[in-house]
Amino acid sequence: MTNQNFEGMSVRWVIALKAEAEEIIKNYALERVATKPFQVYKNRDIDIWLVLSGIGQINAVAATTYLYVKSDASDNTIWMNLGIVGSRNFKVGELVQIDKITSNDFPDNHYPSPATFKNNNVERSNLITVNKPEALFENDGVYDMEGYAFFSFAKKIASYELVSVLKIISDIPGTDISKIDKIAVERLVLKKMPLIEKVLENLLSLQEILLLQQRNPNYFDEICQQRKFSFSQKVTLKKYLTQWQSRFPMRNPLSEIEKKMTTSQILKRFSDNLLR
Amino acid sequence: MVDTIYAEDEIIGTKKAQEIISKFRHAKVISIKRFGEVFNPSNQNFRIQKINPALILARKQKGFVLNAPEGFGIRDQDNYYFSHMYNCLYDCSYCFLQGMYNSANYLVFVNFDDYKNEIEKIIGKDKEKEMTFFTGYDCDSLAMEPITNFLSDFIPFFRRYKNALFEIRTKSINNTVFRKHDALTNCIVAYSLMPETLAQTLDKKAPSVSARIKNIKYIANKGWRIGLRFDPLIYCNNWKAQYSELFANIFKEIKEESIHSVSLGSLRFPKSFFNKLLQYYPNSEEFSFLRSNDKGIISYDQSIENEMNEYCRLELMKYSDARKFFSCG
Ligand code: SF4
Repeated sequence: MTNQNFEGMSVRWVIALKAEAEEIIKNYALERVATKPFQVYKNRDIDIWLVLSGIGQINAVAATTYLYVKSDASDNTIWMNLGIVGSRNFKVGELVQIDKITSNDFPDNHYPSPATFKNNNVERSNLITVNKPEALFENDGVYDMEGYAFFSFAKKIASYELVSVLKIISDIPGTDISKIDKIAVERLVLKKMPLIEKVLENLLSLQEILLLQQRNPNYFDEICQQRKFSFSQKVTLKKYLTQWQSRFPMRNPLSEIEKKMTTSQILKRFSDNLLR
Repeated sequence: MVDTIYAEDEIIGTKKAQEIISKFRHAKVISIKRFGEVFNPSNQNFRIQKINPALILARKQKGFVLNAPEGFGIRDQDNYYFSHMYNCLYDCSYCFLQGMYNSANYLVFVNFDDYKNEIEKIIGKDKEKEMTFFTGYDCDSLAMEPITNFLSDFIPFFRRYKNALFEIRTKSINNTVFRKHDALTNCIVAYSLMPETLAQTLDKKAPSVSARIKNIKYIANKGWRIGLRFDPLIYCNNWKAQYSELFANIFKEIKEESIHSVSLGSLRFPKSFFNKLLQYYPNSEEFSFLRSNDKGIISYDQSIENEMNEYCRLELMKYSDARKFFSCG
């Protein structure tokens, strides 16, 4: 379980199969909260959710969309895709973090942010998303059936730096696929949990920075509760309060507001003070 | 430093790209089709990327040399600028690059020859006409010299065109290139400077002002011509004393004859950019004096701007010929 727990912390896992998700479910103490159209799990106290998408790109997008809506994710939510993959140039059991995602069906490639690679010693790889299970592995990299669609969608609903794709190599040329059973997959994920946690920790530290950047200045919420400011007035108020914080750190802006003041008068009061 | 290099397929095999890649033996090189795939996606966060910027190597397709924006440049000459690179090693709080680009990754255009061809065409139109070419607005080219060798390439190039002034805007104290090459009379090494205490807060990751002054002295003694750029002028509680001290410190070390020009610039931002800055630096006292004017520009009150300009001009006139002054912005 991650040690980091701060206000606004929010994580979503999109994983194709139960066997791949089992260790994550255990590690983050997730409980099932929905079975249809997708199985959804969540932690009781912390904002960590997981969806089992099933195999394929359409399922990946549908499940990500479903989880996005169901869990009320914000654009500061971390989105992680984890799964097993095949490769010709990695060893079975290795964990890789994806830095380039291609698909034969689409011309655009995706490049997860380098910020997500910092502070971990995880191997990196390109990912080729295909529509049928791959056995030949014509190119270097890892092959899956969901990553491209997941990333294309997740980067639209979240900050680019908070979307990451992690894969564990389960098969290489010559692997007997029938031997990769549920227990083998769970074991592969279990072995890599410390590294998976490391990747998540880095993403959480990025999330914290983003949240700090977006926090409303002190007293903003209180003042907005007292009067009904228009949208543009709120933008101005935010700016004045931000300036106020640095100019008059010892003066409470609430004490500037008199009972009968209108919203415009309040803004003018702040502006006049800041101009002095 | 850089652990990821994105390189366009089109240029990855070129000599320049390979020369740069070879300097980062531990970096992962990822091939891309066009730099926009990495540089342009929306939803990127400049400040977060600044923690671990990647290097992008690309080919500039067009717009190699542009007219300098109105108000920039030296007097009524023809003023041009060109950018072989976007983004900077340093991290100044007021840097407009934060508002300009979605990405903080270093983007280097490696097709230097295309820039040179374009510059030659412009110079060729009127060989007698004086003109200035600025570099270092979208990056600090001197700071990145160990990676790009841009100046080692362009200093000999400009040596051939005496009517073309080449200005390198910088905060870097890297002086290798000025030791390697003989001083170029049509080149200005223009240093951005502000009082030390302000620079300590605002010019993050950049060399201290005293180190810059030391370096200016060294370069000037080698015969290079120096530009002093007090741009932007920063308003704070005891700004008069701070700027006076700065000017005195500079001219204590540097002979007036070495100075090609002195310029003063105001702190100005488009509104949308300023809102981004406030988000990044909610507690910055230096920005708290800025106001929005009716043209959607955020700046100090006109009276503050005028007072600062006037005061600094008069102070500088104690040390330098007023004919060398010009204002930018
Ligand atoms: S040195 Fe110039 S380009 Fe670099 S961060 Fe500072 S202001 Fe921006």
